[in-house]
Amino acid sequence: MTSILEARRLTKRFGEVVALDDLALSIPAGDVFCLLGANGAGKTTTINLFLGFLAPTAGQALVGGLDVAEHPLETKRHLAYIPETVMLYRHLTSLENLDYFASLATGRAFEEDELRAHLATAGLPEDAMARRVGTHSKGMRQKVGIAIALAKGASALLFDEPTSGLDPKASNEFSGLLAMLRERGAAVLMATHDLFRAKESGTHVGIMRRGRLVQTLGTADIGHVDLERLYLDHMRD
Amino acid sequence: MILRIARKELTEMARDGRLRWATGIVVSLLLAALAAGWTRYRDVQALTVAAQASARQHWLAQPPRNAHAAAHYGVYAFKPALPLSFVDRGVDPYVGVFAWLEAHKQNDFKYRPAQDGSAVERFGTWTAAAVLQLLVPLVIVMAAFPTFAGEREQGTLGQLLAAGVRTRDLLLGKALGIAAALGTLLVPVALLGAVALALGSEVAALGDTWARVGVLALSYLLYFTVFVAVALAVSARARTARGALVGLLAFWSLNAFLVPRGVTDLARRAHPVPSALEVNLAMERALSATGDGSDARALQDSVLRAHHVSTIDSLPFNFRGLTLERGEEHSYHVFDRTYSALDAAFRSQDRVEHALSALSPLVAVRALSMGLAGTDYPQHRHFAEAAERYRRMLVRTMNGAVSSYAPAGPASAMSSDSTLWASIPPFEYDAPTVAWVLGRYGWALGVLALWAAAAGALALLLARGGSPLARERVR
Repeated sequence: MTSILEARRLTKRFGEVVALDDLALSIPAGDVFCLLGANGAGKTTTINLFLGFLAPTAGQALVGGLDVAEHPLETKRHLAYIPETVMLYRHLTSLENLDYFASLATGRAFEEDELRAHLATAGLPEDAMARRVGTHSKGMRQKVGIAIALAKGASALLFDEPTSGLDPKASNEFSGLLAMLRERGAAVLMATHDLFRAKESGTHVGIMRRGRLVQTLGTADIGHVDLERLYLDHMRD
Repeated sequence: MILRIARKELTEMARDGRLRWATGIVVSLLLAALAAGWTRYRDVQALTVAAQASARQHWLAQPPRNAHAAAHYGVYAFKPALPLSFVDRGVDPYVGVFAWLEAHKQNDFKYRPAQDGSAVERFGTWTAAAVLQLLVPLVIVMAAFPTFAGEREQGTLGQLLAAGVRTRDLLLGKALGIAAALGTLLVPVALLGAVALALGSEVAALGDTWARVGVLALSYLLYFTVFVAVALAVSARARTARGALVGLLAFWSLNAFLVPRGVTDLARRAHPVPSALEVNLAMERALSATGDGSDARALQDSVLRAHHVSTIDSLPFNFRGLTLERGEEHSYHVFDRTYSALDAAFRSQDRVEHALSALSPLVAVRALSMGLAGTDYPQHRHFAEAAERYRRMLVRTMNGAVSSYAPAGPASAMSSDSTLWASIPPFEYDAPTVAWVLGRYGWALGVLALWAAAAGALALLLARGGSPLARERVR
């Protein structure tokens, strides 16, 4: 199976600090890869390298087989980026935000019906669609972000701590959305502190420490309790 | 894509309450300034026409009298205001708009509100030009400071770049959005002004008026472009919207106050000009320096010799006409020397100002605005020189009439009547054309175009290099 997201010996240094050290990673369609680790372990740096927001010190980040550093615009056609809080224009409604980002990403115009359908698929309540997002909760913003990914037809999704700050119900809905995205054949890379959600919704977990990916394993092969023990073992000095 | 971005910027700006208030206030001020300028122009225009006509009437209605007495009676010359002067009053409040033309003296211009008015009047000369030069840039700053920095801070810039938007498209879209917003506000006001102009102009002058309006519009367009580009460039690099706002306000005050003020002071220090009082005293001294009588005697002797007569009463003309004319000629030398020295000093000051205008686009646009409105100092001098030529023609004609009187006889015989008064044509003044103005202010257009091009290039450069991350951080 060809991988949609791939890191080859990917390294990023900020001066003396090594943020990411020799990362190798390969995520095919339908996989949900969860990066676990403490703050500063290099999870967000990995995502920023795939987005091209940072330039790698060494190695390559590839999206759909293309090097991000060499093809900054082409690789973004495949990508959707959903940070902890999805950033939107507060003076615009959900529909207007979706319309703006989706039409900029695809270069085509969208009918309102189509936009509403994407928002509905992402689970946004009907009455929130024509409301300005200034009043939206974190979970609602996330749904608009996922609707943008759907409208764009992104084959790779980058989540940065998607469940932090979500209430249990919203967190559960998020699991459902991840399953839906998997079924559609998307490759997902997710940085998270949420071991439970990683075990529940991920296909693979990778434990990072000080910029190194220290262990990778399939979630089918391990129980909740064992994953937590393993994680804590790695965090111990 | 650029259009899509521009439309979203417009929607956001339209929904921003603070921006709505600020633009509302500025547009109201602009309309008020235009309306006040317009009524003032109409009043002054009507007064000028009436006063010029009545001055002419008085001149023609003089009873038979000695032609030299008529020269002392004199006439008034009024500077006709160009229609565009309602946009920019320029130096008019400082240099005056009419002069009394009489024998022996080149009088100062009168009606100088800045001199006669109270302290309040100094703030009362609030014209459309001031709104366009100072407040519209402030609105541009307010609209543009968050464009990049605010999106970077909010995180939407990352979202946009992740969507695959080119920074160049983003920059052009945002610039277009701000331009469209400005256009929506200013184009209707400009059209209103154009209608007022068309109503207020004489048909013969319309061609020149429209040419002036066109260049004026271009000048302000370039000036606003500079501000939009500088604001986008600063916003593209600033980490926070706050930082961008502070930086842009600093640029605004440098442009609006510090540099123009400093340029004027520097120019004054480099090429000092004596005060009006000093100039007048020096002229008085130079004029009265002739009165020792030896020149007059020498003149009389040479004239008598040339005509082979022994007394002035035997001359074929009235000798007094000649001495009067000689006296005038002497004063012309004094006036010309004084004014050309003053003009040279002013021109040197202008050169310093031109050189330093590279530091602030306001200096250039201010010069252009006054020049096109016809209210700048060079056009004031242009009028003053025309008035002086007319005065000399009038006095010379009167002195000629005195010469034609009988060399000797009763005073009652030495008199002229209305045929002489009517032989003096009414004072008519042709204001300089737009080509004349452009010849003097081409540099300012060049400076503005350079500023706009440089600021645009800088914005493109900075937007391309700008990172979506508020700061590079390790996580």
